[in-house]
Amino acid sequence: MDIKIPDNWLRDFLKTKATSSEVAKYLSLSGPSVEKVEESVYFIEVTTNRVDVASIMGVAREAAAILPQFGVKARLQPIKLLNLKFSAKVDYLEAEVDHKLCSRFSAVLIKNVQIKQSPDWLKERLAAVGVRPINNVVDISNYVMHELGQPVHTFDYDKILKGKMVLRESRKGERLTTLDGKTHTLPGGDIVIEDGRGRLIDLAGIMGGENSAVDGSTKNILLFVQTYNPVNIRQTSMSLAQRTEAAVLFEKGLDPELVTLGIGRGIEFFVKLTNGRPEGQILDIYPAPYKAKKVEINTDFITARLGTEIPKGKITQILRSLGFETNWKGKTLEILVPSHRAEDISIPEDVVEEIARLYGYHNLPSELMQGALPEPPADAPFGFEEKVKNILKGYGGVEIYTFSLVTPEEAPTGLTLKNPLGKESERLRTSLMPSLLAAARQNLGEKEPFHLFEAANVYIPRSGDLPNEKMMLGGIFANSPFREAKGILEGLLSELNIGWEIVSGDAAHFLPNRHVYIKAKGKILGEFGELSQGYLYYEFDTEALRQAHREIESFKPIPKYPAQIEDMTLTFPERTKIGEVIGFVLAKEKLVSRMELTDIYKDAFGEALSSAYTFRFWYQHPTKTLGNKEAEEIRKRILAGIKEKFGGIAK
Amino acid sequence: MREEIISTKNEAMAQIMEAASSSELEELRISYLGRSGKLTSQIKRLKKIPGDERKEVGILINDSKSAIESLLAEQKNRIGEAAREWFDPTIPGVRPKRGHLHLITKAIKEISRTFEQIGFVRVRYPEVEWDWFTFEGLNMPKAHPARDEWETFFVDTPPHPKYGQIVLTPHTSSGQIREMKRVRSTSSGFIPIRMVNIAKCYRRQIDASHVPMFHQFEGLVIDKGISVAHLKGTLDYFARNFFGASRKTRLRPFHFQFTEPSFEVDVSCGICFGKGCKVCKGGWLELGGAGMVHPTVLKNGGIDPKEYSGFAFGWGVERTYMMKSGLSIPDIRLLYSSDLKFLRQF
Repeated sequence: MDIKIPDNWLRDFLKTKATSSEVAKYLSLSGPSVEKVEESVYFIEVTTNRVDVASIMGVAREAAAILPQFGVKARLQPIKLLNLKFSAKVDYLEAEVDHKLCSRFSAVLIKNVQIKQSPDWLKERLAAVGVRPINNVVDISNYVMHELGQPVHTFDYDKILKGKMVLRESRKGERLTTLDGKTHTLPGGDIVIEDGRGRLIDLAGIMGGENSAVDGSTKNILLFVQTYNPVNIRQTSMSLAQRTEAAVLFEKGLDPELVTLGIGRGIEFFVKLTNGRPEGQILDIYPAPYKAKKVEINTDFITARLGTEIPKGKITQILRSLGFETNWKGKTLEILVPSHRAEDISIPEDVVEEIARLYGYHNLPSELMQGALPEPPADAPFGFEEKVKNILKGYGGVEIYTFSLVTPEEAPTGLTLKNPLGKESERLRTSLMPSLLAAARQNLGEKEPFHLFEAANVYIPRSGDLPNEKMMLGGIFANSPFREAKGILEGLLSELNIGWEIVSGDAAHFLPNRHVYIKAKGKILGEFGELSQGYLYYEFDTEALRQAHREIESFKPIPKYPAQIEDMTLTFPERTKIGEVIGFVLAKEKLVSRMELTDIYKDAFGEALSSAYTFRFWYQHPTKTLGNKEAEEIRKRILAGIKEKFGGIAK
Repeated sequence: MREEIISTKNEAMAQIMEAASSSELEELRISYLGRSGKLTSQIKRLKKIPGDERKEVGILINDSKSAIESLLAEQKNRIGEAAREWFDPTIPGVRPKRGHLHLITKAIKEISRTFEQIGFVRVRYPEVEWDWFTFEGLNMPKAHPARDEWETFFVDTPPHPKYGQIVLTPHTSSGQIREMKRVRSTSSGFIPIRMVNIAKCYRRQIDASHVPMFHQFEGLVIDKGISVAHLKGTLDYFARNFFGASRKTRLRPFHFQFTEPSFEVDVSCGICFGKGCKVCKGGWLELGGAGMVHPTVLKNGGIDPKEYSGFAFGWGVERTYMMKSGLSIPDIRLLYSSDLKFLRQF
């Protein structure tokens, strides 16, 4: 939580000659982080474990301990309270309290208050911490809360019917209107206060009820200061989305000892600013007062955790400055934790933090660890993924990162979020395709060919388990000829030393006849084809690619005898699949070591004549140089085979 | 013999100086230095000269030969200027199409390389994870206010009886317990751990400096006797090797439920080197969180906190890389756009 601390208010309690920028700097190095100082107001970030610092008094207490560590004199000026009389029973209020919900319950009746404007100095201080001044009664509550970090509430005493309060857990469905006019239907388990007539008059720790609120004609008020169970407060505040300043403090677990200061300071201001007359007895129901918590630590532990030895005297001095009591027994130190640190300090590690931050993290040594190296997980995929990306980049691909959250239409089977930012990002994607399509469309103005690719997880739901996170490699080509795009994939597969095969077959989202599966050893690695939107698209399962790839191709002896190379142009009937022709020849004719398509014939108008193709053949015998006669025999066999199987003839 | 050589040389030099075309020069080269050229035949006769003298004459011939050769080359250039074929070597080359790796890929590579140099092992853990690994196992009970720091997305599926709801991990710290469990389950159960977990993270937020999906890297070191000094050493190593030799880090107090003590880590500003300037805060830039692993977290990972200790840190990849490269990208959302005009810049 972020708080504002005006410098002049802070100096009511912090006696030092340090400048505000010195205070800010040293606090940040050893305590709460001061984000900035603007117009003599510190903007401070208080972490959830240090609610004791979330006030003027809390910051003053920290600063008074920290500044001397940097050689700057500083002293805490405590609040002096009037003589207060506490009693577990008073005649002006009958209270029944569930102690599980409220560990300390205090209240005092103040009669004949005069409601009016607060003095300027008070209004200015409230404005500086971001609170709008209303009238003296409301302002006192806010002032005390900001000064001490203890929320304070005031009831119109005459609206608490029969002078009775019952503090209890709410029942599900009970209704209550808070003083901001909102009516809440309670989820149950909220802390509420019921008056003598059974009306709910307070959503305790969060906001007062409208029916018991102080108004212009209020005469007598009940000043009300408690310590609530943080878990209940948080639950109510979160489920009703009622995040008041009081709730944000209470939910972090406040120090019950703070109640004394809260009620005392409140009375002081009511007397001073409203001319109210407080009753002599303060109601204080506090069945289990704070008993100092003990933590034990020894110097070896401190040295081991910090990597350096801090003298015992220094340790004692640091801990005492923070309000701990210390008691050494040899190397062992017994520490008594002050009430305002009870929530945060429980284990030796917590004490180490206190010692180290005041000793100064900058004073600790810096060294790399020695010792054995870890065992890496076998078979890590990172090098492979990097390689694939580099190959695609080498072929002109442009890598993108897109959001994994997509629309329900884009991932009909994907996992749905409970609390999405919007419909357009409600599902976890199960394919990269929708994202890559959107990415291509983002570049509609681009007339040149381009190729975008992404490697990212998709999340395939599994019943009763986490989704299967599959690393996919997807890519999209725009303005690109089919053969060029496919060539890039062939290049990738060949650089990965994967023996692949292409199997045609239609698939959803792809145009009919324009889709293939890419397989290796019978396993599908991925798919490629033309989408109905006109783009060419591919998606591989990266893990399948990795399993199929080989880091290095196995060595084949260099042929001792030269190959005979020749070109032949063949014509085929329409709808012949040339990939199948090449596959057929290579499978059937062992003496053909290579066969490539080198040209597709075009007619006079530049249109492809899909029926005429020029191929280049490499005839190769492992143990001898092939003669013309032998080459001719091979050629004859090839032509006969092609004619029989595909009806293709030499031109 | 000596005079003969000198006169051959002088004769050759005179003729070369007068030659007017490169073909004429070639003829002269053949007549003196060719297989049966004048100087060549004198070299052949060297063998017949007696020992002492041979050496001297040899030197003379060699000197003459190189004098003729260099004059030939010189003269060739002089008369050749006019006859050179015209060629424009300044014409732009035909470039292959250039591809681009994304900035985030580059960042991840550099970050993981830096840590790998000091023995860290890169791992990857679920991005969609159980609440237990994300929060509860990290010492954040349900309804703990510390959870507010992470604006978490929840998946709409029934909760697991032990591990709770499914969430999109808002930080890479969810990999900590996974890594401890992995190490403990190997046959040797071998600790130490030096892990760097880099993954996508998700938080319910979007504006110029926040995106609902981003990347984090998480460092985790566990061994006997690991101290704050080792954390400082590791961070300083990273700062020097990733940001630059003169860069340092500092720790400030902070709080995380899963570390104790906890720190905020700053790196010294690369522009003013700690003096303070417009870019930084008093000479320092905020990197992210770190801390000593909380004993409860070690226990939850099956590691005895009495025997072992460790530290962890988890920072944003995008932010850390921006700080290194000095790139001032005004809107972090640009990183996740697919606009080629952006992507082709890197």
